[in-house]
Amino acid sequence: MADTRPLPTALMMPGNVRAGQVISLVEIAGSIGGKVDVPKLADELGADIAVLLPILDTAEMLGLVRTEKGDVLLTDLGLKFQKTTRNKVRMLRDRVATIEPFRTALDLASRKKTVTAQEIADSLAEIGLKWHYKPDLNEALVRTLLIHWAIYADLLGYDGKSGEFRKAQSKP
Amino acid sequence: MLSQPHPSSGTTVVTVDRVSLDYHKEREPLPVLVDVSLSAKKDELVAVTGPSGCGKSTLLRIIAGLVRPSSGKVMVLDTEVTGPRADVSMVFQNFVLLPWRTALENVLFGLSSRNEFTEEQKIEKAKAALDVAGLSGFEDVYPGELSGGMKQRVGVARALATEPRVMLLDEPFSSLDDLTAERLRKETYTLLINPQSPVQSVILVSHNVEEIIELADRVVVLSGRPAHVVGEVDVTMPRPRNKKSEEFFHWVDKVYTLLS
Repeated sequence: MADTRPLPTALMMPGNVRAGQVISLVEIAGSIGGKVDVPKLADELGADIAVLLPILDTAEMLGLVRTEKGDVLLTDLGLKFQKTTRNKVRMLRDRVATIEPFRTALDLASRKKTVTAQEIADSLAEIGLKWHYKPDLNEALVRTLLIHWAIYADLLGYDGKSGEFRKAQSKP
Repeated sequence: MLSQPHPSSGTTVVTVDRVSLDYHKEREPLPVLVDVSLSAKKDELVAVTGPSGCGKSTLLRIIAGLVRPSSGKVMVLDTEVTGPRADVSMVFQNFVLLPWRTALENVLFGLSSRNEFTEEQKIEKAKAALDVAGLSGFEDVYPGELSGGMKQRVGVARALATEPRVMLLDEPFSSLDDLTAERLRKETYTLLINPQSPVQSVILVSHNVEEIIELADRVVVLSGRPAHVVGEVDVTMPRPRNKKSEEFFHWVDKVYTLLS
């Protein structure tokens, strides 16, 4: 049967951005203060602009920064994030949960108790969301994203022995 | 000759006293380190730097008790180092994690010879060390599934789990990308040197002079073949140290002058 669902407008987490990079970006933008232009930010971070841009996109997706005509500004959430000293990504828990592949992973983990990266990647591919055109690399990228972000954000737990994700038993 | 006492001197935790090391090439002695002396006091981070291949890491292995010096001795607090010991831990450049063991099992490996603890206590300590290193929730993840920064956090957790008094860092940030290294550098310093930490002194080997000036209370510069101490610099710049400041460049320049 043909899939009649509308094309996705989902937010997709870039496959190559790590939480630590976003933390560095917010800390440096915050320490400069006010509006920072993108080339200056790249220079301060010691990162190539090609490396910086996906990090910047991610920070914006997470609501930590706003970009205005080539300038970067911290949002209120970004300022709070900058000042937090521990478990920064935990602060972004609700935000991360709205972004793919985490949204689908959480949905599957609530229904099935445990779920593999393969099942999550397949489910996302069905609605046209892929991080790589090769299925095996796509699955690897989805797993890496889930491990890096969803565990830090305390959304999912992961057992490397079985390769299964489950909903995190949220800590206070 | 022992190094001069640091202005903020407290108890001396590590003393390297006229240590020399010879390798043997076709029965001929090949001196690698000659008469190296240095000391690290309580709450001090001492950096050892020098050109590539000069013997910095070898010196660290001598302090760890992994290599026996040809002459001279290393003391940790009141006792001489004669082999690996429980109160001295090391973090390696290439993480050296067992890929077939999870993060928790890798940290437990560091505790495997500590028979004074029960298995439950070891697991508790390993989990606490992972938490301190910022890896709570990653206990059952394999090293191959972790990023470079996270792998090194496991390395730090493994070294911390034994609650060492001396922490030896062998180029711990040089396999990481700049952004990750920058963050981990700051975190590691506050993690190791604070009143709650069991660690009393840290000895860091690095060839990255900016990294050294960011972190060290004192820098010991090795040079020459065989390597010997060519100078020491007390970095009295207050923390946090702004890497873009003129004062920072002044200290970097001081170390470079000794190196060149």
